[in-house]
Amino acid sequence: MKCFSRYLPYIFRPPNTILSSSCYTEADIISTVEFNHTGELLATGDKGGRVVIFQREQESKNQVHRRGEYNVYSTFQSHEPEFDYLKSLEIEEKINKIRWLPQQNAAYFLLSTNDKTVKLWKVSERDKRPEGYNLKDEEGRLRDPATITTLRVPVLRPMDLMVEATPRRVFANAHTYHINSISVNSDYETYMSADDLRINLWNFEITNQSFNIVDIKPANMEELTEVITAAEFHPHHCNTFVYSSSKGTIRLCDMRASALCDRHTKFFEEPEDPSNRSFFSEIISSISDVKFSHSGRYIMTRDYLTVKVWDLNMENRPIETYQVHDYLRSKLCSLYENDCIFDKFECVWNGSDSVIMTGSYNNFFRMFDRNTKRDVTLEASRENSKPRAILKPRKVCVGGKRRKDEISVDSLDFSKKILHTAWHPSENIIAVAATNNLYIFQDKVN
Amino acid sequence: MEVQKEAQRIMTLSVWKMYHSRMQRGGLRLHRSLQLSLVMRSARELYLAAKVEALELEAPSPPAPCPQDPRLHQAREAEVPAACPPPDGEPPEPMDAQEAAEEAAAPPRAAELPARCSLRPARVGRKRRSSSNPSDGVDAGLAPSKKARLEEQEASAEPPGRLPPASAPAEGAFPNLARVLQRSFSGLLSRGPAAAPTAPPARDATPACRAADPVLRVLVRTVVAF
Repeated sequence: MKCFSRYLPYIFRPPNTILSSSCYTEADIISTVEFNHTGELLATGDKGGRVVIFQREQESKNQVHRRGEYNVYSTFQSHEPEFDYLKSLEIEEKINKIRWLPQQNAAYFLLSTNDKTVKLWKVSERDKRPEGYNLKDEEGRLRDPATITTLRVPVLRPMDLMVEATPRRVFANAHTYHINSISVNSDYETYMSADDLRINLWNFEITNQSFNIVDIKPANMEELTEVITAAEFHPHHCNTFVYSSSKGTIRLCDMRASALCDRHTKFFEEPEDPSNRSFFSEIISSISDVKFSHSGRYIMTRDYLTVKVWDLNMENRPIETYQVHDYLRSKLCSLYENDCIFDKFECVWNGSDSVIMTGSYNNFFRMFDRNTKRDVTLEASRENSKPRAILKPRKVCVGGKRRKDEISVDSLDFSKKILHTAWHPSENIIAVAATNNLYIFQDKVN
Repeated sequence: MEVQKEAQRIMTLSVWKMYHSRMQRGGLRLHRSLQLSLVMRSARELYLAAKVEALELEAPSPPAPCPQDPRLHQAREAEVPAACPPPDGEPPEPMDAQEAAEEAAAPPRAAELPARCSLRPARVGRKRRSSSNPSDGVDAGLAPSKKARLEEQEASAEPPGRLPPASAPAEGAFPNLARVLQRSFSGLLSRGPAAAPTAPPARDATPACRAADPVLRVLVRTVVAF
């Protein structure tokens, strides 16, 4: 795990927020982070409904050892606040998830979603423009036909690079409850969107119809005991997907079995440890994120205190359990009071599925090496991260004597939480969202 | 007693959170409401277990079977007239309107109980006296409790609300809940959640009797019904 102690921090945000990182608006809070399939692009969504895409610089021939940095490539407003007049409810513009489509031509495509509407965006470059129209002048106004005496063919002339984002599809009005996940299928023709009680299957070309594939809404809402918290398609098998629940269970479904996948093919649940039972057991067992490994053999789930790795072939318990911040177990009542117990942390795999990463409080994030069983806690903060500095492992002191570099549990800042992280698909580059700041760390080469 | 107080505090806190979750942008979140109701249910069970223990300690003779709390009876009576606001005409999405109607009907019943629950411990003695004739008319049982509540309530806010007015047309997703919460919890909210967070007490004893609180059970279910 030596690479994890040698990360170089880069801090990227639109320039106007870098200077005043301590005072930010709620709209600037990053709500999702996602690399595309090659790792060339990194997209972030925020609470204000904006999407900011970063692109990695091409490595220059002069500096072979210098890895490409990420610079802002495109910024656009994906979602606006809306109002549901029937229910008198405001629909937040916050971007809940972004998922990239694999690149099939020169343009990039991504899905972004808020609580109710999924949009397909096309991000394309324009570096030429046509000039010399017959019927229009240079400003685009129609010319008087009487003045047109010659015929000419428009030619393409180079212009400054412009990156434009256009909404190509809007998938709306299919969810009664709040959308928590979207996942692109490996067939690249369909995707699914999941809310608290239902999962819908869409075709990218069709916006006015979707298939409902999971519906756990009980006939009598008073009998509701669990909701869907996350869902994802299998990376290779286009018929298979999983969804997690607020009860800490995962269901794997096969769409070949029936049109409505209410009956699962596999059911993953770990029996509760009675010694750990507490007042808030039910809340902290709720799964906040589920991710397939790149190989498709494992799934990883995140609940409030742990990360678990499950083998698809074994349903009765996870094969690995990692404690993220077990020192919070005795603080659950306080965390309930300040609402932190409801925080939904995400988790990610590295490219080779050997390391998993998730966030914590105080701008800490944790990495677990599945092979060596070693773990490290790192901090994403402006004060501790000078450019090209090496990240120092952090340690939380649980009780007793606190060592010099340790931080005690009571000193943790619970307002600084890392909920969203992303890992480059093939390299050791990670993106960590800390409130309104995005940190990108790279593995040091030499 | 500490356990009872802690459970009561958490119940109050949960109701407060649920009330405020209405105010947030994006409306009520189903998952959050479910989690809050789970905590309320755990707090309720803990509270009842502690209460049963306390009663057993005070009265060594076999306790009354499943404490027939007149307040629970009153609350059950209160539920019945709670009207279900009719859906708006013929909505284009009938499922949505029906859900809104279900959701609007369910919570008002939920709203009444926590206010009473939270004020309970101080009047255990009074409760036992009036519990001797639970089958008395609703008013006979209701009046003393209401007086007790008025006397002992320190906050100057209005007393916990009566039944929500019937047949209010659906103004939004949860019209009755809005009215009931505003009336019922003004006292609760002025107190606010207690300070000094402590670690939750372990639930060492399972409650001796669970069947006592059908209405509280409805509370949890209806709260979950968001």
